[in-house]
Amino acid sequence: MSLTKTLYEKDLYPEIEDNCDSDFARDCVEIASERLAKGEIDRRTFMKAIAFLGAVPTAVALGGGQANAAGEIVIVNWGGPAVDAYQKAFGEPFEKATGVKVVIDGTGPLGSKIRAMVEANAVTWDVCDTGAGTTLVLADAGVIEEIDYSIVDKSKVLPEFAFDHGVVNYMFSFILAYNKETVGKVPTGWADFWNTADFPGFRTMRKQPNGMMEACMQALGRSPKDVYPIDIDSAVDKFKEIKDDVIIWGSGSQSQQLFREGEVVMGNIWHTRANLLRRDMNGAVEWTWAGGCVAPGMWNVPKGNPAGKDTAMQFIASSQDPAQQVELFKIMGNGPANPAAADLVPDDLKAYDPGQPGNLSQQVPFNGNWYREMHSSGKTNDQYSREKWLEAQA
Amino acid sequence: MGGSSQQFRYWMLILPAVALMLIFYVFPLIQVLWISVTEPVPGLGNYEELFTSDFLHKIWWTTARICLLTTALTVVLGYVVAFAMAHVERQQMTMMMFCILLTFWLSVLVRAFAWVMLLRTQGTINEFLQFIGLIDRPLRLARNEIGVVIGMVHFMLPLAILPIYANIRTIDAKYVSAARGLGGSAIQAFLWVYLPLSRPGIIAACMLVFVFSLGFFITPAILGGGKVVMISEYIRVAFEETLLWGKATMLSSSLLFGVFLLLAIVGRFVDLRRVFGSS
Repeated sequence: MSLTKTLYEKDLYPEIEDNCDSDFARDCVEIASERLAKGEIDRRTFMKAIAFLGAVPTAVALGGGQANAAGEIVIVNWGGPAVDAYQKAFGEPFEKATGVKVVIDGTGPLGSKIRAMVEANAVTWDVCDTGAGTTLVLADAGVIEEIDYSIVDKSKVLPEFAFDHGVVNYMFSFILAYNKETVGKVPTGWADFWNTADFPGFRTMRKQPNGMMEACMQALGRSPKDVYPIDIDSAVDKFKEIKDDVIIWGSGSQSQQLFREGEVVMGNIWHTRANLLRRDMNGAVEWTWAGGCVAPGMWNVPKGNPAGKDTAMQFIASSQDPAQQVELFKIMGNGPANPAAADLVPDDLKAYDPGQPGNLSQQVPFNGNWYREMHSSGKTNDQYSREKWLEAQA
Repeated sequence: MGGSSQQFRYWMLILPAVALMLIFYVFPLIQVLWISVTEPVPGLGNYEELFTSDFLHKIWWTTARICLLTTALTVVLGYVVAFAMAHVERQQMTMMMFCILLTFWLSVLVRAFAWVMLLRTQGTINEFLQFIGLIDRPLRLARNEIGVVIGMVHFMLPLAILPIYANIRTIDAKYVSAARGLGGSAIQAFLWVYLPLSRPGIIAACMLVFVFSLGFFITPAILGGGKVVMISEYIRVAFEETLLWGKATMLSSSLLFGVFLLLAIVGRFVDLRRVFGSS
């Protein structure tokens, strides 16, 4: 799946790659640094490449593999432009405030990698940028620290998004996006999504149940406020009703491609992707926040992280600053997690921020607690729903 | 005396290779097996699911069905191409070989997306068929099992063509002439003489294609629209997403044993060493 990951990185935020040469250069440097650390290239080739990119200071700062010296914290995200964006939004302010150097590692904090690191007692990551689903799985596996809410400020996030083992770092939404040129009428909610007679054509939904079952429950007649507790079996049955008209998306770029190629007329996709589509397709694609599911991106701290739990918690606390989050939103489109940031968002961008009060009030907040509760099958709701959702697709 | 020192040298020479295999192949494999019987609790609980879970039965059945269909189609088509290659002029043969190898080197992802472009409802094929008036509504050729099988057959063709070609190139044309001389029709000569002689090539192609097909997950994920879940995809989910490593390793091990079992069964009927080219 590393191939799809490459697509994902390249396609996610094209405007950044197009406009800022230095960002791209820096990403090259990091890839080169990694290859050096792994011994895939020798130092001479490396220095030559760096000189070519005109970026010696950055490369030396990245250290060519000697990560995790004292006074350093490693933040892991999904690479590409996110490396620079995080450095700017979270890294630099933290470095200034504490003197602890922030290294952004873009190799992607896959849950399986985190688990393998912790169990092998070879943790090289301090803070990982994951999602609510991964957080639940990692918490079950017992490989991530509990969030220390005496350091991290609970009042700076929505209460639903302060999990025991993870805390929100930004917000994004699963929304109903549609191509108004091919869908015929404008769909107004999930009932229309299920109405294949009046809205013919393929739709797209995600491979994982999070954000999808919430839509199923609304199609079953629940109001956004009463979506939880979800009846997993009914939600899955509801999905099966339209399964023949559904194409499943696995990566964000895939969901975007389905719209771009005209294969689908509607989809339950991420708002960041819908926003790119709106721009790329000259407004043909629009979305509604109504009935959307707003979900948290998560900070996780692996057990036994090299910089120590407290430093990691301090970094997380530092990232709660609303101005920094707006900075990240401007570059990447990830909605600020701190409700106080809503007013700081420039007016022309407010329509694309899932956290604006007007947008938020129409959506269902992802309920992590419900996902952790036990299902009658003896598994957690998270485990049971993942199983049933995949089963329904096959 | 000389014999034992020679034997010593022999073992010293292959020692690095054996050590590499042990460290990088056998040891990780044992680890995989170990996890499958120790996680989440020691015992054969993970393997019990093979018999009790309806979902697993469904996935195994989907996998077997698609792999068998792919193998059958690929080997038939591959035989036609290989047969042609063995009977054309050298220059044409080189050209054909070049085209086959060219697709062989293309990334699996690129090929899957290319097929989507051709097969989707507004794709080239559907638009052409509608244009010439053969159909009024687009056919659903992709995002289902049909799409998956088309994509997989395309990917596997070189794996069938090459062993079959290698085999039938060695068949002496005089046998066919002799069959014809003894009064056989062209079809009889092919079915009774040529085809049996090409059996090792066919078996090698079947084995290669079938075993490779078992491990497919990118092509099914893309061309199947996410709705054709084969065993490798389920292993990936269990390993990467749900972190149920006990289940993931159990399924990997079962797949491995399945392949060994298959080889053992086939090995009873044919000489596998000859099939895979060592004599």
